Amino acid sequence: MNFEAVIGLEIHVEMNTKSKMFSTAPIRYGALPNSLTVPLDFAFPGTMPVVNKQAVINAIRICNALHMTIDRELWFDRKNYFYSDLPKGYQITQQQRPIGSNGYLEIETSLGKKKISIERLHLEEDTCKQLHSWDCTLLDYNRAGIPLVEIVSRPDLRSGQEARQYAEKIRSIVSFLDVSNGKMEEGSLRCDVNISLRPIGSEKYGTKVEIKNLNSFANIEKAVDYEIKRQEMILISGDSVIQETRRFDEGIKQTVLMRLKTDAVDYKYFTEPNITPIRLSEEFIKDAIETSPELAEVKLARYKDLGLSDYDSQILISNKNTCAYFDKAIKSGPNAKLLANWIIVDVQAVLNKEMIEIDDFKVSPEHLGKLVLMIEKEQVSNKQGREIFQKLLEKDEDPEVIKKALGVDLINDNNMIAEAVKHVIDENPQAVVDYHNGKDRAVGFLVGQVMKKTAGKANPAIVSKLVIEELKRR
Amino acid sequence: MDFLALDILSLHQALLDGKINPIELIKLSIEKAKKDQNNAFEYICEKEALAAAANLDPNKKHNLLWGIPYVLKDNFSTKDIPTTASSNILKGYVPIYSSEVYLRLSEQGAILIGKATLDELAMGGTGMTGHKGFTFNPWDPTHKRMIGGSSCGSAAVVAAGIVPFSIGSDTGDSVRKPASFAALVGMKPTWGRISRFGLFPFAPSLDHVACFTRNVTDSAVVLEALAGRDEKDSSSATAPLEKYSEAIKPDLKGKKFAVIKEINNSISNPYIHAVFDATVKALQERGAIIEYVSMDMKLCKAIYPTYIVISCCEATSNNANLDGIKFGPRFDGKDYEEVMTKARTEGFCEMIKRRFVIGSYALFKDNQAEIFLRAQKVRRLIVDATNKILEKCDAILLPASPTTAPLFNGGNSDKLSNEYLISDNHLAIGNFAGLPSIVLPLGFENGLPFGINVTGKKFAEAEVFSLAKGIEDITKLKDLVAKEDK
Amino acid sequence: MKKVDIPLLKKVANNLMFDMKDSEYNTLLEEFDVILCQMELISEIPGVDDVEPMTFPFDVTTDFLREDIPTTPLAQEEALKNAGEVVDGQIRLPKVVG
Repeated sequence: MNFEAVIGLEIHVEMNTKSKMFSTAPIRYGALPNSLTVPLDFAFPGTMPVVNKQAVINAIRICNALHMTIDRELWFDRKNYFYSDLPKGYQITQQQRPIGSNGYLEIETSLGKKKISIERLHLEEDTCKQLHSWDCTLLDYNRAGIPLVEIVSRPDLRSGQEARQYAEKIRSIVSFLDVSNGKMEEGSLRCDVNISLRPIGSEKYGTKVEIKNLNSFANIEKAVDYEIKRQEMILISGDSVIQETRRFDEGIKQTVLMRLKTDAVDYKYFTEPNITPIRLSEEFIKDAIETSPELAEVKLARYKDLGLSDYDSQILISNKNTCAYFDKAIKSGPNAKLLANWIIVDVQAVLNKEMIEIDDFKVSPEHLGKLVLMIEKEQVSNKQGREIFQKLLEKDEDPEVIKKALGVDLINDNNMIAEAVKHVIDENPQAVVDYHNGKDRAVGFLVGQVMKKTAGKANPAIVSKLVIEELKRR
Repeated sequence: MDFLALDILSLHQALLDGKINPIELIKLSIEKAKKDQNNAFEYICEKEALAAAANLDPNKKHNLLWGIPYVLKDNFSTKDIPTTASSNILKGYVPIYSSEVYLRLSEQGAILIGKATLDELAMGGTGMTGHKGFTFNPWDPTHKRMIGGSSCGSAAVVAAGIVPFSIGSDTGDSVRKPASFAALVGMKPTWGRISRFGLFPFAPSLDHVACFTRNVTDSAVVLEALAGRDEKDSSSATAPLEKYSEAIKPDLKGKKFAVIKEINNSISNPYIHAVFDATVKALQERGAIIEYVSMDMKLCKAIYPTYIVISCCEATSNNANLDGIKFGPRFDGKDYEEVMTKARTEGFCEMIKRRFVIGSYALFKDNQAEIFLRAQKVRRLIVDATNKILEKCDAILLPASPTTAPLFNGGNSDKLSNEYLISDNHLAIGNFAGLPSIVLPLGFENGLPFGINVTGKKFAEAEVFSLAKGIEDITKLKDLVAKEDK
Repeated sequence: MKKVDIPLLKKVANNLMFDMKDSEYNTLLEEFDVILCQMELISEIPGVDDVEPMTFPFDVTTDFLREDIPTTPLAQEEALKNAGEVVDGQIRLPKVVG
């Protein structure tokens, strides 16, 4: 019997707004515990939630990127339960009226593009952080109340690879929209997988297993692949899959039981009476979308128009910050292909050597762009350009200033160069003979001599041309 | 001169004229508070009040409430002043932030002299369930009668002449009913008119900040000081404000009142009926038009269960934050569940727990349609019916309570009888519909007061004050302080 | 709806993280009978299921959204001063498992 895997993903994304979803406490990472809170975060009696506008704008932008229907009114609900990390004894979420519904995104599979339906997207708030030590748990409320979006897919995914691609696409979207850095290792993107198997052709769903606490996109794929095999083995042997919650053990590369799924918890959802419904006008939604940072697809199309190769474009958009750098640098006017090359090769080499991200790269995009333009316009040679680049790495300033300071200038004057060429060839008659005997390296030698004579300032392309012309005459 | 028995405007004038200075006045009030026999105080803020009086900004002395002593129900958050909601689960809790009501009153120079007792967590109507025991009615020095609740302490301090005004909260009738039992004016404005930021929530969709005074004009002065948008409370209203104390026009000519027959008839006390009818006549003599209208009896009977279900459901959720972990008495346990369970078992009185169980049960998925959601549907029917009545009149007029202050040992009335269901709970209509609603003294039976209730259209506080003042001019019952037992 | 009996009420109470005395469960059972009776009456109100449930007293729809501007947070000591057990600037609980 052949089985197919039926997989759905529930992804929580932590937003990088300046204040929390319902409270005005600031958000920063790595701060002292319980130093970034206001009374509402501890659920002191009488405190009240007030909805963060930027969080709503972010959610609208993500809904738009996922082609979702956006609710024109914002309603919130209480999800009631008791847990150590839940200060109010309920979480404010959107059960009945999620801000986004019925969307999709596309992933690339070996059989082409595949549409994955997305059921809902809603706003909610994060819980406290719990630090478990050997004999106690310590609570830090800095995280309590940070805005989250929850994105729930329909069970359209069929493999570990698809699951990973879907999650990575979500990450790309929230990253490019500047909503979140989407790092699973940091917990700003959390992914729960629901997976069951059923005989191919069957419409009925099998027993669902939940996989939680995944900490990387690669592990999503590994966990799903393992789980598919595990469930397959069970079903083939005639047993039933038990409904349970599992986690992925990186060491043994297997999913492992966390707990059995008990009766579904009844969260006693009801409308949050402290938040009056908020009208989202057409104007507000339109504005949020129009002022949205560019998504990756849009950038790709733009880079294509600029003449960049697919390969170069993909490398740029693999990192949102790299594109941002490119987009700023190109404003200085250089050729897109040249600039892309400089970033992908030369800049990246420095980043690799110093083990930093492009965000920490000292050279400003404006200055790099200007440098590339200088080279393109043949105001300096490639070699001279690299000299200037090295200086930029030491001190980020206008490349024009550096050019003057170094005294580098590209001589493009044909007459001047012709003079020098004549002199050099006069001084090196053997080279002329070599050339006519078919030794092409004589050209390189003579070009080198001309470069020496002009202190490296002659435009090498012109030198080459004129040397060959002169040699032909002799 | 008993300064503390003066109305606010007179007291304000006395301060301006220098007949008494704020520190002397506060000292008087605190002395009287310390002698309180009615168990009205959770905490007397002697130190804080004297410091505030000493630090009053003289430039603000033209504010009507400048230098005036007052009391807050102990479910309003007050920074650095203990706040318990009369519950053991909040013993020792000292808030680190203040409610908007406290902030606004402080800003205008009013001086908080104490926090008043309430029915635990504001969930009650008898003044019997606070963790310090019963709060008594100053109108009965034998201490056999309740002042009602849940704002029992706030009512008692004004009735006893300790302060000229106090703040309470009204979720089903918690200020207006005690006002009826204590010859006070109890005023609940429109939902959202006063910010609830810092008010411990009982049932947010029904909760209102409300006040006790001894005459109608004073309550307009207090509302003026408190009303207006607060961005810390999303539900607070942006509707335009008025200078309520200056907008009172007591002329009743042409004013239309509607008396709901089913509610009026559900009251069986003949004396209350007689006085009410006489007042109606007097109103008519002054040019008012009284119409007797009908509300479906089924809706009238549904008021109480609708109130209980909705309030218990919201309350059970609101109070889930009380777990002894972040604040309140902390218990040991082998796991967090035990820590929470011990705190909540010890900390809540039994009546509260029963209400929470009812609320929780009604919220379970399988039960919501038949209990919680249906109660919310009936709320809509009641509100629609009420607003329909108000389309054709300026206000609804009714006796506030079916009796004078009940005995603590009054025995259980049949909970399904009309009398209990309707007459004792009709004030909740003002909470369902969020309408401005005021109770003022109507008469006395055997030395015990009972009140009359005027409920107007939403945000029509000025109209409600005007109509109430018109009635006050007829009854001449105002500025009444219960005599001390000597 | 399941039949309301004391075992069910005990479950509901425990789900709310508290216990009650046995006598209280009896009182509660009586109160439930009354309420469920009253809800029966309500279900007979003509047109009751034709209307939408009402959460707010009147139309309170707003356009207001809070600008994303953080305020000064509480000092750690202030935030924790009402907590019964504090260790290293954090609230301490017995070890949470699962």
